[in-house]
Amino acid sequence: MFVKRIDYAGALGFIAFMAALPLIFGGNYIVGVLTVSVIYGIWAVSWDFMSGLTGRENFGHSLFIGVGAYTAGFLNTSFGLSGWWSLPAAMLMAMLFAVVIGLPTLRLKGPYFALAMLSSAVIMQRLMLIFWEQTGGEEGINGIEPLIRSQLGFYYFALATLAVVTAILLALARSHWGLILRAVRGDEATCQAAGINVTFYKIASLMISAAFAGAGGAIYAHYQLQVSPQLFAVVTSITIITMVYVGGMASIYGPVGGAILLVLLTELLRNFGEWRLMIYSCTLILILFFLPNGLIAPTWRRVKAKLGSPQ
Amino acid sequence: MSALLEVSDLNKHFGGLQAVKNVSFSIASGEIVGILGPNGAGKTTLYNLLTGFIPYDSGSVVFKGRNLRGLAPYRIAGLGISRTFQLCRPFIGMSVFENVVVGGLGAHGSDDRSDLDARARQLIEQVGLRGKEKLPVETLSYGDQRRLEIARALAAKPALLLLDEPFAGLGSGEIADLSTLIRSVHADQGLTVMLIEHKLREFMRLVGRVIALDFGEMIAEGSPEDIVRQPAVIEAYIGRGDGEAEEQSDAA
Repeated sequence: MFVKRIDYAGALGFIAFMAALPLIFGGNYIVGVLTVSVIYGIWAVSWDFMSGLTGRENFGHSLFIGVGAYTAGFLNTSFGLSGWWSLPAAMLMAMLFAVVIGLPTLRLKGPYFALAMLSSAVIMQRLMLIFWEQTGGEEGINGIEPLIRSQLGFYYFALATLAVVTAILLALARSHWGLILRAVRGDEATCQAAGINVTFYKIASLMISAAFAGAGGAIYAHYQLQVSPQLFAVVTSITIITMVYVGGMASIYGPVGGAILLVLLTELLRNFGEWRLMIYSCTLILILFFLPNGLIAPTWRRVKAKLGSPQ
Repeated sequence: MSALLEVSDLNKHFGGLQAVKNVSFSIASGEIVGILGPNGAGKTTLYNLLTGFIPYDSGSVVFKGRNLRGLAPYRIAGLGISRTFQLCRPFIGMSVFENVVVGGLGAHGSDDRSDLDARARQLIEQVGLRGKEKLPVETLSYGDQRRLEIARALAAKPALLLLDEPFAGLGSGEIADLSTLIRSVHADQGLTVMLIEHKLREFMRLVGRVIALDFGEMIAEGSPEDIVRQPAVIEAYIGRGDGEAEEQSDAA
């Protein structure tokens, strides 16, 4: 019970800290960076739910992000649908893509699911260019309306979304559902012998993961006020996976910290000019080398053990 | 006694190899039946056919009056057939307790998930893993992993339990413990058990009836006392004595 209370306290403390940051530092630049970091948090946590728990690494998460962003952008600019409607529409569209791509590919073993997702994202990026008359080609879709006009208000909305998404996914991950997903990672044949419909759970978890990635994509579209094929880039997926690794795979809350940490680190390193990528990469390699389980989640567990044990 | 499982004319080949050939038998509720046979006789293949992990070519498997043809493994498990694997296949990365709970989360156990935690604890105690609930499965000894496999299989509340070499790699003390466990779940819950095993001494003491396979064919069936006297079984295990015949002809 006490340990649970530490978790709640940690979560509340973290939200309060994130909410206070723009009030302390202020300025549109900081708020902008924080907003992007929080959106990356939504993407990382949604990746972790499916891939972290089941161990089926999705190298094409950007597909769901792009689909969500384009859906929101398209509905907003072509039909004048407000962000409050385009957001759920983006989630539905991303879920649809998850079913269509998940059904054939999630049966594959080994690295094939990762490769199939990776190529799906690449193909979508190409399709955006090929059908440029509908999609706007390289330019993408411009003139998307903001979800909330005030910068600070937008940041708080994104932060609240991240908190809600993380809470939902944490609750799912700690329920019997999460237990089954982790069992799928452990051994699929034993799952089947236990009467568990492995395919159903894999597809359903990919749909949930896609829905929140799509929601993040839609929020991003309504924040940047434009979408471009770059959203589908493989690099986006790789960045998200790196964030999850740094945060701590399969912990759900860890990737949130990983995402925010890495986005802030990227911004802090801007002062170092061309050395930036070098420092960034070396930091990552050191973290992954010395902390194979990640940085955030194991650290939190240690803190909890320290706080929870002394009697 | 009514037939719980009815297997008729079951056939399976892999390319040119007939792994299971015209196998027919039936198992009554409450029996402990042993499957005997040398390596490659088709015992594990038979299990894979019964549980839907591999589709059969022809024949039929009827469980509780229901034909299992074409059903996915998870559906068959949901109908009440649980199995263990020859090589332990626990859910890596999870605790002993979590492993057993997952065993009860399948379709069959879905109606009473509320008491699942309590039942899992009870099963862990029953198989003798008390105090190890929170350990990661990777850290368990081989014998304990075998016990865990059985607890996981029992969590699904099966009507029929298929054990695939549960004694493999265990010491004699552990074998005796595990035998007692199998006997007790059989006695307490009236569970029907099928057992593949090479450790013949324990096997023969445990089972009430033996089905002997060789090269995918059923060569004999009967009580443990009868089965070891059957010429076909002796031949499959010890050989026909061709070498002796050759020696004699050389001498002559």
